Amino acid sequence: MKPNSDIILKTEDLCKFYGADDNLVKAVDHVDLQIRAGEFVSIVGKSGSGKSTLLHMLGALDNPTSGKVFLDGEDISTFKEDALSKIRRRKIGFIFQSYNLIPSLNVWENIVLPLGLDGKPADESFIKDIINTLGLTGKIKNLPNTLSGGQQQRCAIARAIAAKPSIILADEPTGNLDTQTGDEVMALLKASAKKYGQTLVVITHNEEIAQMADRTIMLADGRILSDGEPSRENSDAEEVAAHAKI
Amino acid sequence: MRKSNTVFTLAISRLRFHKSRTLLTGIAIMLTTMLLTAIGTVGIASFNMNRQAVLGSDYHAVFDSLTPDQADVLSKRINVEAMSTMEIFADIVNGKMNGALIYREPVRDDRLTDNDSVFGPLQMESGHYPEAEDEICSSPVFFRRIGAEPVIGGKVTLSFRVNGKGEILTKEFTISGLLPDVEIAEGIDDSRVMYSAHVSKALLNQYNQNGMYKPILNAHLRVYGEGELTYNEITDRIHTVGTDIGLSEENVILNKEYLHIMTDPDMDVIAVVAAISLIVILFSTLVIYSIYYVGVITDIQEIGKLKAIGASKRQIAKLFYCQGALVSAFAIPFGLLIGFLLPYFLFPVVVWKLSSSAINSNARDAAKDLLGQIHMFSLPFLLIVAIAVLITVWLSLLKPIRMAKKVSPVEAIRYQENTTHAKTRRGHRAVKVSTLTFANLTRNKRRTAVTILTMGLSCVLFICVSAVLSSVSAEDLARREIPEGDFRISLDYSLNDKEYPENNLENLVQQNYFNDDFLAQLSAIEGVEKIERAHGEISSSDNGSSALYIDLDGEPVCLTLSYFTREDLDELNENLVQGTIDYDRMTANREALCTHEYTFNECGLSLGDVFPLTLYDGGREIPLTVTLTALTEPDGNYPLLIVTEDIWKELGLTCDPTTDIYLHVKDSQYDSVKDALTDIVAENEHFQLYSMDVEMMIGRSSVGLTVYPCYLLLALIAVIGFINLINTMITSIVTRKKELGILQAIGLSDRQLVNMLAGEGLVFTTGTLLISLTLGNLAGYLLFRWAKDTHFMSVSRYHYPLWESIGLAVVLLGGQLLITRFMRKNVEKESLIDRIRNDG
Repeated sequence: MKPNSDIILKTEDLCKFYGADDNLVKAVDHVDLQIRAGEFVSIVGKSGSGKSTLLHMLGALDNPTSGKVFLDGEDISTFKEDALSKIRRRKIGFIFQSYNLIPSLNVWENIVLPLGLDGKPADESFIKDIINTLGLTGKIKNLPNTLSGGQQQRCAIARAIAAKPSIILADEPTGNLDTQTGDEVMALLKASAKKYGQTLVVITHNEEIAQMADRTIMLADGRILSDGEPSRENSDAEEVAAHAKI
Repeated sequence: MRKSNTVFTLAISRLRFHKSRTLLTGIAIMLTTMLLTAIGTVGIASFNMNRQAVLGSDYHAVFDSLTPDQADVLSKRINVEAMSTMEIFADIVNGKMNGALIYREPVRDDRLTDNDSVFGPLQMESGHYPEAEDEICSSPVFFRRIGAEPVIGGKVTLSFRVNGKGEILTKEFTISGLLPDVEIAEGIDDSRVMYSAHVSKALLNQYNQNGMYKPILNAHLRVYGEGELTYNEITDRIHTVGTDIGLSEENVILNKEYLHIMTDPDMDVIAVVAAISLIVILFSTLVIYSIYYVGVITDIQEIGKLKAIGASKRQIAKLFYCQGALVSAFAIPFGLLIGFLLPYFLFPVVVWKLSSSAINSNARDAAKDLLGQIHMFSLPFLLIVAIAVLITVWLSLLKPIRMAKKVSPVEAIRYQENTTHAKTRRGHRAVKVSTLTFANLTRNKRRTAVTILTMGLSCVLFICVSAVLSSVSAEDLARREIPEGDFRISLDYSLNDKEYPENNLENLVQQNYFNDDFLAQLSAIEGVEKIERAHGEISSSDNGSSALYIDLDGEPVCLTLSYFTREDLDELNENLVQGTIDYDRMTANREALCTHEYTFNECGLSLGDVFPLTLYDGGREIPLTVTLTALTEPDGNYPLLIVTEDIWKELGLTCDPTTDIYLHVKDSQYDSVKDALTDIVAENEHFQLYSMDVEMMIGRSSVGLTVYPCYLLLALIAVIGFINLINTMITSIVTRKKELGILQAIGLSDRQLVNMLAGEGLVFTTGTLLISLTLGNLAGYLLFRWAKDTHFMSVSRYHYPLWESIGLAVVLLGGQLLITRFMRKNVEKESLIDRIRNDG
């Protein structure tokens, strides 16, 4: 572990419980973790292990029942909604399994949306660079429903990167894609994050993707079961990245 | 059997799952039912009230100006079912009080076997109808007015002029009976009340024998055939009876209201109710349609999954029909109940409220009696409403079902609501909140248009009805008496009084009552701001060579003549009925205008008629020959014939022809000015004072009965329109929960969310306002023209529904903002995560 000054995300005794008494569900149960800037972390675990809930709390989308979430050293669990929305558009890029693009906006508009919401002009050369990187150049005027799943997810990645957030949180970004497209998208995501110096936290079921990460956190019943470097035996991340021609 | 059960079960579970949508559809269906029921129930109640009101006067017609012989023949005609006569024996002379001595006689009523009760009997409170020549009966209010104690056996001395002319006679009467008392509202001037007292046949005979009284009778009668004949047949029969006794058509006055109600259902009410109902059905269809339409769009995936597991197109259709039927099964009975109960409780309150502004207690009592008898419940009507609403729901479902049938399983998996099949969008380089707002609105232009149209239509209905109601103005009626200012002092003159010619106009003008000194005296009253003389009027006659200038006895009479200015041309032209008005031509050719269509027709006048007039400028006679070239029906107060101001000036009048003056006063000193004017007017028996407060009171009481139920209807339309707005906003927010969630997840702040939704609402509101203020005003004006032409609610002048329009704009804007805020709070009860995951 590096010194604390590098820690960009940290949780302390983080809990998220639903229901009460006999029906009490401990989605996240006293989780303490630290993620360093620029790190690529994968979170794995079975369905219902609390991965998504944890990610949502890390991304200021959900409030913890108890415990704290520190982003850049600030405890965001005490922030009001307005401050949280600022954090979401400035510091965090979110990628969902089901892409969640805005159907009425074209690809370009979807990508620059977080910047627009922040009242900032789009850094066009940067955005074009992302679009090039993600292979969406010919599609910027297309509406989301005319794109394939892979293209939509690439658009979602571009949106997540566009505002130059320090952290990208991805919730099963390849879950709706076929293996090859999934691999491509993941390689692109990793490469982009690296290129723009962003911290990447990915939830996945996919063993291969987990292998690509610097570190893998395994959750079970809301608790961290293991936290460490993934075993590298089956890793072919480099190969996939080469495929994607970055 | 199994299949349909599955579909039914699925329909129920879908309704439960999409709770908010089910609720919205339910509310829309309930409101439609409620509005239709309420409109119909108000219609039924008004119809019933009119019916009850006319039942009080169940005669078919009045035959006017009958000789005793004609009345006698009439009473024996085979077609006459019932008849009573009335004679106006004399005019009462008592200062400025209007009063008459009359005699009523029930002649015949074949409907009754019991001879004690006959057609048109008077309800005596106590005592009996006058029999001896010195007996009199009336309401206590009459006796109090002439300063006598209203007790049976009491003595009253009255001055009167037999047949309204001749010498003033004085006689002492004994009170033989009292009619029910009437309370006159405070502040009502004597000139606006007509008193009557009943005298005996013996008295009439006595004056008749010595040649002082010439009996002219009015007969109220019923003919046989009510309940069998149509309106035209029964009026033909009435006219035949009149012609048989040698009575001219203009002396037959039909009781049209009663005859209409007894022979036809009230077609006017039915037509209005049917028209409004159709509009309601139309916009309800659009509202319900848009909810289902959005429902199908958001359910595409689910429909696709159903198809993927083998649901047929028929089953999909059945599923939707089933859902519609299930929601209707709950919503319609509620709608019927509320729609009935609302007018059931409000209608009497409204009628009661308006009747309390009536000038005399008779009208209030009548309203009270009526309320007890109004029936509003009609089972067949409620069934018709239920069926109409079911048809509305069915119509609304047609298109969404067609869309649902077309959904393919493959499409379903990837479906996103698209923009009119476009693949690309030009878009903006930078995205702002306003970009989001417009992107959403243009995503489905048709839906946006339908939403604006549905909201617009209900508002059009609102503005349309307001346009007519705001034109039904008590002030307009009051302005017929006082066209300018706050008070009018009028010269009370006669035209053809042979016994007391000093009261005739040509002699009164020589007194120069409205001279500068008098006007200066008025100006000196504190609070008087301005005094205006009305256009002068002078007496004119053509010595009986035209029907216009003879009375009932064929005697030549005088009428008044006045003038119009170029400024009056607009009003005169606007109300033109026949001919053309050209000021210069009319001056050059000595042409005149007739301002009263009824008299024009009654006297058989036609354009081109030439009147060789003699004008009376005091004692001086001025000859003037005019040709009638136009007929108009202006709102203003004009004498029957008017010429141009230039012709008038050429007459070189030496006497002041002013017969009316108008006073403008400061609001704060209205009461003190009125007191001062009352004193001044009391000093001259020829002066009459008209004050705006009294005229307004009279105006209000005469427009109230029809206007208030309409305002009730308007309030209902407004409520429905507003709920339609809520419905639209809720639909638009609820169905986009997920999308809004995503936007928030990527950083849309609360304020931005509110701005975005408010922006969308603003577009809806602006569109709605545009439609309602253009289409609504146009339709409103057309409805006003129709109302004016058919003399509906005595509208005469168009008033732009300004306050209603402002109110509509404020309610739409404010309501829309409130709903947006409320909905946002409501949506946020669900966590952001749940909303993002929401697939429904």
